[in-house]
Amino acid sequence: MKEVKLFLGPQHPGMHGNYSVHMYVDGDMIKKARPTPGFLHRGFEKLMERRFWMGNLALIPRICVVEPDINEMVYAMGIEALADVDVPERAHWIRMIILELGRLAIHMMSIGGIGGPTGMYTATYWGIAQRDLILDLFEKITGARIYHMYIVPGGVRKDLPEGILEDLAKVLDQLEKNLPEYEELILRHPIIHTRIKDNILLPASVVWELGVTGIGMRSATGAKNDLRKVKPYARYDQVEFDVPTATYSDALTRMNLKYQEMHQSIRILRQVMEKMPPDGPVRTAFSPGSALRYTVPAGMVYTAVESSRGEYGYFIVSDGKEKPYRIAVRGASYAQGLLGIEKYLPGYRIDDASIWMDTMGVCSPEIDR
Amino acid sequence: MTNSTNNWIECLKKETGLEAKEGTASLQYVLDVDKQEAHQTLAYLKRAGFGQLSLLTCIDWIEQGTFQLIFILMHWELGHHLIVRALLDRENPEFTTITDIYPGAAYYEREVYEFFGVHFRGSAVYQKPLFLERWDDMPPLRKDFDPQAYSDGKFPKREHPHVFKANVVEVTE
Amino acid sequence: MNRTKSMFSPIRAWEYLFREPVTLHKKDVFVNPREASDRYRGFHQNDLSLCIGCGTCSEICPTDAISMVAVEGLIHEEGKKDERPAFDYGRCSFCGLCVDICTSDSLCMSKEYIHLSQDPDSFFYLPDASGIHEKEADKGYQRDEVSELLDLVRQKMDQEDPSRKSSFVEIMKGYSKKEALEEAARCVACGICTDTCPANMNIPEYIRAVFDDDMEEGMRQIYKTNPLANVCGRICTHKCEEVCAISHRGEPVAIRWLKRYLVDHASEEDYEAGALSSVTAFVQGKVAVVGSGPSGLSCAYYLRTLGYEVSVYESQALPGGVIRYGGPEYRLPEASVLKDISMIEKAGVQFICNTKVGVDITLETLHAEYDAVFLGTGFSLSRPLKIPGYEHPDVLYAIPFLASVRDYLRDMGPIPVVDQKAVVIGGGNVAFDVARSLVRLQEKLYGTSCVHMAILESRDQMLADAEELEEGLEEGLQVHFAYGPQSISIVDDRIKGLHVTKVQSIFDAEGRFNPSYDQTDQKVLEGTQVYMAIGQMPEYAYLNDEMRDRVLTKRGLIAVTDGGQIEGYPWLFAGGDIVRGPDIINGVATGHQAAKAIDLWLQTKP
Repeated sequence: MKEVKLFLGPQHPGMHGNYSVHMYVDGDMIKKARPTPGFLHRGFEKLMERRFWMGNLALIPRICVVEPDINEMVYAMGIEALADVDVPERAHWIRMIILELGRLAIHMMSIGGIGGPTGMYTATYWGIAQRDLILDLFEKITGARIYHMYIVPGGVRKDLPEGILEDLAKVLDQLEKNLPEYEELILRHPIIHTRIKDNILLPASVVWELGVTGIGMRSATGAKNDLRKVKPYARYDQVEFDVPTATYSDALTRMNLKYQEMHQSIRILRQVMEKMPPDGPVRTAFSPGSALRYTVPAGMVYTAVESSRGEYGYFIVSDGKEKPYRIAVRGASYAQGLLGIEKYLPGYRIDDASIWMDTMGVCSPEIDR
Repeated sequence: MTNSTNNWIECLKKETGLEAKEGTASLQYVLDVDKQEAHQTLAYLKRAGFGQLSLLTCIDWIEQGTFQLIFILMHWELGHHLIVRALLDRENPEFTTITDIYPGAAYYEREVYEFFGVHFRGSAVYQKPLFLERWDDMPPLRKDFDPQAYSDGKFPKREHPHVFKANVVEVTE
Repeated sequence: MNRTKSMFSPIRAWEYLFREPVTLHKKDVFVNPREASDRYRGFHQNDLSLCIGCGTCSEICPTDAISMVAVEGLIHEEGKKDERPAFDYGRCSFCGLCVDICTSDSLCMSKEYIHLSQDPDSFFYLPDASGIHEKEADKGYQRDEVSELLDLVRQKMDQEDPSRKSSFVEIMKGYSKKEALEEAARCVACGICTDTCPANMNIPEYIRAVFDDDMEEGMRQIYKTNPLANVCGRICTHKCEEVCAISHRGEPVAIRWLKRYLVDHASEEDYEAGALSSVTAFVQGKVAVVGSGPSGLSCAYYLRTLGYEVSVYESQALPGGVIRYGGPEYRLPEASVLKDISMIEKAGVQFICNTKVGVDITLETLHAEYDAVFLGTGFSLSRPLKIPGYEHPDVLYAIPFLASVRDYLRDMGPIPVVDQKAVVIGGGNVAFDVARSLVRLQEKLYGTSCVHMAILESRDQMLADAEELEEGLEEGLQVHFAYGPQSISIVDDRIKGLHVTKVQSIFDAEGRFNPSYDQTDQKVLEGTQVYMAIGQMPEYAYLNDEMRDRVLTKRGLIAVTDGGQIEGYPWLFAGGDIVRGPDIINGVATGHQAAKAIDLWLQTKP
């Protein structure tokens, strides 16, 4: 039988962002896969070398569109490490609110998003609608729904607005009430459930071969390899939460872990509301002078946080000037999104390709940068 | 896996004579290696528990005339990040592929070749284009590449007349 | 997970029919749009009357979305440019950094978020205080003290404590390198200061050089427009700092102290390389400069950079004029003056001292010997106040007194005769110089000091710098605001004191100088010497009667064209106090302008 070359993406309802896979298929079976990134390559690493330390605040959230806050967090953490500044206590807790809200938002989108590749769009609508309520909170706190630009080196950009904790509590209650409904509608829905159970396997050996992190790693190895636990940042060492794991990683397991992580995020957020200092400073200057002349002491540092897809890091090099010398971004989906597709997508059916992409956690903007 | 305990630093020193220094952030270490010994050091480190290559990238120190390859390794049991650094000659940047140690490095090597022009001996694929389509200039993350000049030469500039009031939105149902 | 469901379970889905939808109706998107949150980063609003056009928003903008556009109807005035920011919403990323760094607090973002148009040019928009469309819009994102991106607090400078009053040691100790770098980091390089500085100094450029720690470049930038770097780094009237963009919300950048940092910390090689880089060989004609004060020195230096041979005639024993004989040592140490003058000497300027033009040599001789002559003779006489008793020999004048103090301090004269108690008349900077010098001499001679100051103006109207008063009070000056001198009381040929009366108003209804007094509030300020420091005036020994009639204005100044050329005498130029009134930086500026005008005239002369 003759091989046929098919294109998955760059525009495809089952893809997150513009990303393309060239598939060589024999009938329904994928024989060979070639990831073709670059559709979202905007040269961010080069652009960041040509902008002020503060100016980069506008670029970095765009590296991962649906989960922008992790970018701000690693960037801030890197600069704080280089400049050796202490972040005010309250800012740590506010950052955790932002990060966990971000995790809730992207997990919600991702759980709903499985409706795309499986053809059950109700799930997508529900997921997006629920995420929108979280975006409302973001809008109130940061002034923007998607690109928050809120976590800044040295703290956060503004203190929390009045009454936001009540709004947050309301959203959490509502979300917690709805979660079982989503589980039933999405994860246990026969259309989806049958498609993703025992499908798209990720063995532990592949995890180590590719360097997969995050839910992929935890669902396959059973290890609690979550950076929030392994090397806690912000104040994750002062809140209690579990790291859900599994030892058999199929698409359903990974979706289930996301679902369980949402419960943990709600748990973290409730503790944050309780434990965070009621007032106090939220930002310290990491450099004297005006933002046009902020400098960061020369040096290099790698900072990483736990994103929804795994270890997300920035490698920052400063030569002591007003602009970074070099910033390299470790996108969490780099491992599975490139070599993973090339080696392990073959063997699946065409209609499973986008489920593969979705549940493995492939986010094209962070691969392309 | 041997030496996966906390004392990898001492073992490393004993067995290879290399000393890992504390990095800028907590639980972070830095190790400078020679280009020649990088390969065996990485292999040793992988056995010592650094099972994951988090990032492979490069820095262009144009004034010193060198490239610096950066390997960021992760030790999940200890939560240690180790930044392994090796200097390359900028005129003739060559290195040996590490895909036999960390298979996941394959695409990082392609990226470093594409953006810096570093050659990875022993890899058959590192020269395949990755992100940049039909690129016609020097590797763009080199410091002497000027993206402004490149885009000015490539694309026309648009001049705007400025307006004080934008047009009112017309609502059409 | 795989539980079996009842066959009726789909019916459960009907309940969703009755739930309230979370979505908006499409028509509401336009007709009844959802209101954004209070911090929403929507389209920009800019209060055009507050905005100073500094362009800092445009500088910080990470996406190059802001360009500064000249706006019709706005004029380029002191402290304000005639440009305002225009936004290209094709590029803008709505980060709001422009709002956080706005120096004048004019910029904010609105809650408006909808703009639809088929005309791409309508996305390039110059905002005013209302919304993007022709209706008002609520304010959204605004800067607060947390999101602040400017550094509003000036670096403190160490200074001598009040025990300094027994010596002439310099009060301000200058910035250390770290302090200077951090102060320089506060600058936003808008250049509004340059427009205001009489000499149009390249202020942002030399502050940038401080920030970059490039001393040679800093010196070069200073010497481009001002060869009196040491003097102006210490006693300039710093009009630049009054308009500094940072001063709208905080303390202005310490421009003067940064200039001082450069001259104090530059190595000799860097200093010379920067200062003399544009000095050329003698290739042009010869020019005589009369008077070696700021304007004369400036004119001479810039003539040297243009290739002229320059001789400076000075009536005193040492060159420098007011900077050598006026400013007090504790503000302007001799070493600083020497550094400036020696650099001008190194540039190849020849000084001819102890030669008073009009007495020792005539202006006509100069005219015959040189291609052009520059007059920068300054205000060299103190103005007397003719109240009863003013002719007494113990009534002394500011200019000769200050000159004798400086001569004493450089071991070129005896210590001035100072009594234990003295009264100073005047309320300007010179009066404070006199009073504070008196305090120091009294402390030296008697171990105690007693100086009264009779100031016509009230405290709010005081002409002197605030720091003069503050420091003077620390040193024990007894300042009497709004007391006008009436007469000097003399008993047995000795001065006993100064009669003063409370001032009710200084100017009359027509705005003329005509003080009125409250006769019920009189007192005598005790002292055996009275120092008059109420102003200076020029001396024109070199002008003959015919010239006096032709060139002097009603106010006693010399009338000149823009470049300093005197009408009717094309070979004669003037600058400094005798053209613009007393101010050092004005002297530097007019000297520089005259040098350029002399060059132009000589080059184009038939």
